[in-house]
Amino acid sequence: MHDDLAAVLDKVEAGETLDEGDWRALTGGHDLIALGMAADGARRRRHGDRATFVQVVPVPVDAPALAEPVAADAGELRLTGRPETPSAAVAAVRALAVRADGAPVTGFAYGDLEALCGHDAARLGDLLVELREAGLARLTSLAADAPNPETVVAVLGGSGLGVSGLTLGGAAGDDARRLLQRVGSWDGVGGVCRALAPLSPVEASPPATGYADLRQVALARLLVDNIDSIQVDWSRHGPKLAQVALTFGADDVDAVPAAASPDQGWRRSPREEIRRNITAAGFVPVPRNGRFEALQS
Amino acid sequence: MSIASIAERVRDGGRIDGREALQLYTGASTALLGRLADGIRARRHPSGVVTYIIDRNVNYTNVCVARCNFCAFYRPVGSAEGYVLGFDELFRKIDETRAVGGNQLLLQGGHNPDLPLEWYEDLFSAVKARYPDFRLHALSPPEILHLSRLSQEPVAEVVRRLVAAGLDSVPGGGAEILVDRVRRELNCYSKATADEWLSVMRHVHEAGLRSTATMMYGSVDTPAERVEHLCRLRDLQDETGGFTAFITWSYQPANTELAGVEATGIDYLRTLALSRIVLDNFDNLQASWVTQGGKVGQLSLAFGANDMGSVMIEENVVRAAGAEYCMDEAEIVRNIEDAGFVPKRRNMTYDIVGDPLFRRRAIPRRTALAVARPAGDTSVPDELSRYPARSRPGREQRAASGPRPA
Ligand code: SF4
Repeated sequence: MHDDLAAVLDKVEAGETLDEGDWRALTGGHDLIALGMAADGARRRRHGDRATFVQVVPVPVDAPALAEPVAADAGELRLTGRPETPSAAVAAVRALAVRADGAPVTGFAYGDLEALCGHDAARLGDLLVELREAGLARLTSLAADAPNPETVVAVLGGSGLGVSGLTLGGAAGDDARRLLQRVGSWDGVGGVCRALAPLSPVEASPPATGYADLRQVALARLLVDNIDSIQVDWSRHGPKLAQVALTFGADDVDAVPAAASPDQGWRRSPREEIRRNITAAGFVPVPRNGRFEALQS
Repeated sequence: MSIASIAERVRDGGRIDGREALQLYTGASTALLGRLADGIRARRHPSGVVTYIIDRNVNYTNVCVARCNFCAFYRPVGSAEGYVLGFDELFRKIDETRAVGGNQLLLQGGHNPDLPLEWYEDLFSAVKARYPDFRLHALSPPEILHLSRLSQEPVAEVVRRLVAAGLDSVPGGGAEILVDRVRRELNCYSKATADEWLSVMRHVHEAGLRSTATMMYGSVDTPAERVEHLCRLRDLQDETGGFTAFITWSYQPANTELAGVEATGIDYLRTLALSRIVLDNFDNLQASWVTQGGKVGQLSLAFGANDMGSVMIEENVVRAAGAEYCMDEAEIVRNIEDAGFVPKRRNMTYDIVGDPLFRRRAIPRRTALAVARPAGDTSVPDELSRYPARSRPGREQRAASGPRPA
């Protein structure tokens, strides 16, 4: 390990403020494994050798009827897409909740609901309460660059609805670093947001490299101390990258399918597959539901 | 011995034995394996150069009598989906390869009983007559052994004739795991035992040719058998020094008779790192992005690899088993530079031949690898009628396509 990187990692561990040179050493250096080891240390101090995962059934918000019974392994039913109106959002939650068979129903990006409410915090707060009462367990996502962070925390806290994942919205490099710094100093965000999902929700063109993805995961764990989990997406980023990310600071795997998909040629159930991958990465797999509650294995 | 003391020996540049290698492989953290492998890579390649080659991976026939149960590529003799590429088709592929800056074919295929040694000699001679500088990196040890059995000539004589016709170097395919228990289970013992594979390579090296070595892990093999494979390669390299590089990849189970599941990404990185540690007499280790994808392929550079392999242009075998990744030259170079290394083009013997070509001249971007033949093309090359077929379907096909010239 280069001495300057080792010194910066010591500063990170001691919670000291990083200067520009420190940031360059962290983000511009190529000693990926050293960065990963530091992030892994931080992750193990917080979560030990547990790695959680959630098996998700995605349900389009404009067609919330389930074609099939809820798969036994489903830990979450997730409404996907942007609702047309606040009442459509509430109706979709109600329609899905009655069929959920005990699995938590989640859905919606905070920013989408805020826009539907004309950026009026009071109206948004009322809508969130209505959604919770209709059966929504959590919002799916919140953007790390959301304006008025204090208001976001107050609105979410007041409604009793938390958010599953804070996202960087595809930011990379210096932009991602600025957002991570913002999140790290965002008072109260850890109380309403359970996980930080540092990787892009959509594949960029050209795609992010493996180094860039893992560096971002590691930096997220090292620099964001006020959010419990660092999350990667099994479906979007693929089993291989998601698995390696577990050794670079991530502790939670989102969006594992709830049922096997014959067209993807799986020979094992997704639960067996994720367990095998987590175990091969040196961790103990723990299934969870959409409320982040551990499930019986 | 403790893992820490084994690691210390590796850091000091010492050799570890099979027992110690197994202890590291099964007991060391992934990060430790990676750091040890990266340290060796940095000592062997202190300039920070990561190489790649522009060549084309062509499979001249998919007809095969070996019937390895891990293979999704082969078709049995007489299958309607069986093919043999014609000389003209191969010339076209060479023209396309040269157009994007390539100077070599990696040419491998099934054990087709209807292609005698003379077909290969004529093909190689024709390629060299038409493209004198073009390189033929061709015929893995089991293919050479198959030709030896077919022609009833000793392996050394087959190698001599192939070299005389234009063979430049030999790819290390067909090694799978060089342990006969595994080879029996994979139904590839009869195509070449572990000793036979190594013996063919010894002949190849004695003939003055260089070759690569490979390992396909993750089918029915144990960690100890992977280590044994690596140690056997290391022994032969001590003896001949003929291997230029080592490539490992995970068994790809889709569409195979053996089925099963693919080893994970972490398994790949650990196996690659262990290979770098054990193969202390190999200069070069390639990343297998074609089986692991671009992201884990790039991560290989932190786990002991110093080479991103080939741009390939074409790929048929791994695709048949369900993996379809593509990286053209620009993408390979982007990944190398993003990891902090200096990209350089190389040839098969790892001589540097230049900087990235796409920066010097316009080369069309490629988002998918080509295939040997378009689907549904069942044409039979004219020149096949000049060669005797051994199989009944082959004889019937050749009789139907006209008399052989005297
Ligand atoms: S791996 Fe090679 S030898 Fe074995 S069946 Fe496939 S083509 Fe034939």
